[in-house]
Amino acid sequence: MKDQPVLQLENISKHFGMTIALADMSITLHPGEVHAIVGENGAGKSTMIKVMTGIYQPSAGTILIGGKPQVISGPQAARDAGIAAIYQEPMVFPDLDVTENIFISDTSAGLLMRPAAQRRRAIELIERIGINLDPDRIASGLTLAEQQVVEIARALSQDVRILIMDEPTASLSAHEAAQLRKIAKTLAAQGVAVVYISHRLEEIFEIADRVTVIRDGAHISTKPIASVTADSMISEMVGREVGNYFAKAPGTVTDEVILQVQNLSLAGVFKDITFDLHKGEILCMAGLVGARRTDVALALFGVTPTATGEVTYKGKPARFRSPREAIDAGVAYVSEDRRKLGLAMPMSIRSNISLVTLDAFLSRFGLLNREKETAVAHSYRERLNIRTQDVDSEVGMLSGGNQQKVMLAKWLNMEPDLLIFDEPTRGIDIGAKAEVHDLIREFAAAGGAVLVISSDLPEVLALGDRILVMREGQQMGILDTSEATQERVMILATGQTALREAV
Amino acid sequence: MLARISPQTLRILALLAVVLAVLLFFSTQVPNYLNGRLFNRISSSVAIMALIACGQTLVILTRNIDLSIGSIVGFVAFATGSLITNNPELGPVLLVSYSIILGACFGVVNGLLVAFLRIPSIIVTLATMALFRSSLVEYSDAKSITTGNLPEWLISFPNYKVLTFGTLQLRAGFLVAVLVVIAVHIALTHLRPARKLYAVGSNPEAAEMAGINTKLVVLSAFACAGALAGLAGFMFLARFGTITVVAGLGIELKSVAASVVGGVNIFGGSGTVIGALLGAILVDLIDMSLVRWALVSEFWREAVLGTLILLSVAADAILMRRLIALRVAREKTTKENAP
Repeated sequence: MKDQPVLQLENISKHFGMTIALADMSITLHPGEVHAIVGENGAGKSTMIKVMTGIYQPSAGTILIGGKPQVISGPQAARDAGIAAIYQEPMVFPDLDVTENIFISDTSAGLLMRPAAQRRRAIELIERIGINLDPDRIASGLTLAEQQVVEIARALSQDVRILIMDEPTASLSAHEAAQLRKIAKTLAAQGVAVVYISHRLEEIFEIADRVTVIRDGAHISTKPIASVTADSMISEMVGREVGNYFAKAPGTVTDEVILQVQNLSLAGVFKDITFDLHKGEILCMAGLVGARRTDVALALFGVTPTATGEVTYKGKPARFRSPREAIDAGVAYVSEDRRKLGLAMPMSIRSNISLVTLDAFLSRFGLLNREKETAVAHSYRERLNIRTQDVDSEVGMLSGGNQQKVMLAKWLNMEPDLLIFDEPTRGIDIGAKAEVHDLIREFAAAGGAVLVISSDLPEVLALGDRILVMREGQQMGILDTSEATQERVMILATGQTALREAV
Repeated sequence: MLARISPQTLRILALLAVVLAVLLFFSTQVPNYLNGRLFNRISSSVAIMALIACGQTLVILTRNIDLSIGSIVGFVAFATGSLITNNPELGPVLLVSYSIILGACFGVVNGLLVAFLRIPSIIVTLATMALFRSSLVEYSDAKSITTGNLPEWLISFPNYKVLTFGTLQLRAGFLVAVLVVIAVHIALTHLRPARKLYAVGSNPEAAEMAGINTKLVVLSAFACAGALAGLAGFMFLARFGTITVVAGLGIELKSVAASVVGGVNIFGGSGTVIGALLGAILVDLIDMSLVRWALVSEFWREAVLGTLILLSVAADAILMRRLIALRVAREKTTKENAP
């Protein structure tokens, strides 16, 4: 590491209101290295990238480029400094062709475009990446992998010195991912500092020169790849003590099976998911981003009826073809995306709670019975401890925790037998988390069955009676809570089982 | 074969084919249909609409819409008319520049509101449509511009015959409009900043990430549309001579129709002004032909036009989906054939 670092973050912090996304983060990037960054979901990787690319301004700390302190005021400034990022979902212009996409932000060459010259340069850049791609193709017809190549070529056209790849392979096939890793290696060999973020530890062992582990927005360690093992990385990623803020409550599992899933598959998305769910049980689905847990839930809820496999619900074969059918059968799905799929933000608490079960609120003439609606909303406000003045407040004005409770109230009101809860505590504070957990346990204790999808490991361990771990559409195993630890879940979720056995 | 041609060229070829088909159809239905007079009439009216549709296209490309464009045309036509009425000695260059600059100013107002206050363009321009029109009513003081007060060169300009083939005349107004459209087309395809117009409409977030000043791009699109509407206002004055406060009323929707029929994607990001010109021609052609077609009563003309717009957009969507499927299939086979 004798050469001058291209980019240094020094004691960078970033706050969003009360939330601390980055705390005293420091990292140094050298030209020609592939620098992997690993951490759990929510460890602060995305925030760090956004600070590097000028999308966020740090609350405190210094950024040094080529040894000199510099403010990256926006995406254009980052680009001028030679920093570019490509994401899991590439940023391309679907209506433009490959060449046009590559040179879209090229301002150096004057007013007139010279298509022939651009096309030649595009071919050169694509060759430098080492890929076959027709420069005349329209971007909307490209595969994800090809779109990423376009983005890399765009970065190269601007003389990139730092290329950040954020989960670039998460949505790619094995062959495409291998190709992309080769590209990362090639670019590093040409002197670019490549920041590589991935949940796939085997990828990191294949290409990284150094690994930085981050956790809870803070830097944990930076080591040469040779001196780390999968186990050491995982234990650093997990770090904190289990159960320091969630107490494990005794389970309420009964013998009665309510849901039996056998070899549930959806082509290209997930494969051979098999589990039982008992009355009174909380089954947690753990895994990293891209593990396809939500897709499994959506298939059970009838959103993707093309899934294959056998689902037995309450002793009968069940294949819901629409959410309506699932709801009628007593299945509730509480979405992870409150804003998009969960709540009608401009509407009141009252009308949100009654939304799924409107039929129950109709009076004789088919009009809404508003008194009944209000009464029900009030009872939920008290039961779930939703902190508002009244039930006519706009849902959009509530805090995340209260919104989550309104969403739960909406679904509890249909009195489901099976509750699927996707990321029940994402983005809400610790106090509200504990309350939501109590509500879920209460529901299970009353005889309901719960399927919780959560990326929060302590939550999974505290809440679940059993834990189903998924990785990239595969079911990696089901652990009983008594035998589960954060490390064991992570080992399954990152696909290190084989490695572990070898040790 | 089909997959080799670019989608935009294909669209234009398809439009030409439809124009031809419409001409053939009506020539079997209407006696003495295909003659020079039909061409002269359509070309005179398209001369104005082409400019407006061209401006509208620039705005639609950025995922916006300009509903105030008809009011701009009306205001500029009136203001230019009263300027020349009061100063009859003004020359053509000054007068045209005045129209264009005035139109651009209106466009800038729209652009500032849309780009910097982040109000959806449909709301902004719905409001400015009414505002510009009301200011015209106020400004006009219940008077009209009349042909008698306009200089001779202005009145005769649009009908000046550049070329004559029998009864078929190529008039100056139409020629100017076509030249402007071609100029804008060349600018869109060959100027670097123009590519940003497509980028912003195609994927605004990616455009922001690529370091494009999206606000400036949207502002410029509205300003250019205003300038083109200003030029159209000048042509409007020259063609009709008599301008009242309702001048240009309803043009905004016709220009959207022309753009959409011409293959401009209403969600932004793709389309050509040549397409918009052909769209304007097609809409006008059908409108005029229906007048002479005894089978369709006057009341149904609008309905037929509406149906045409639906059909052209649906056909476009289906065609493009097919084309993409075709390409994917082609690539698969080439990949499989490759070792």
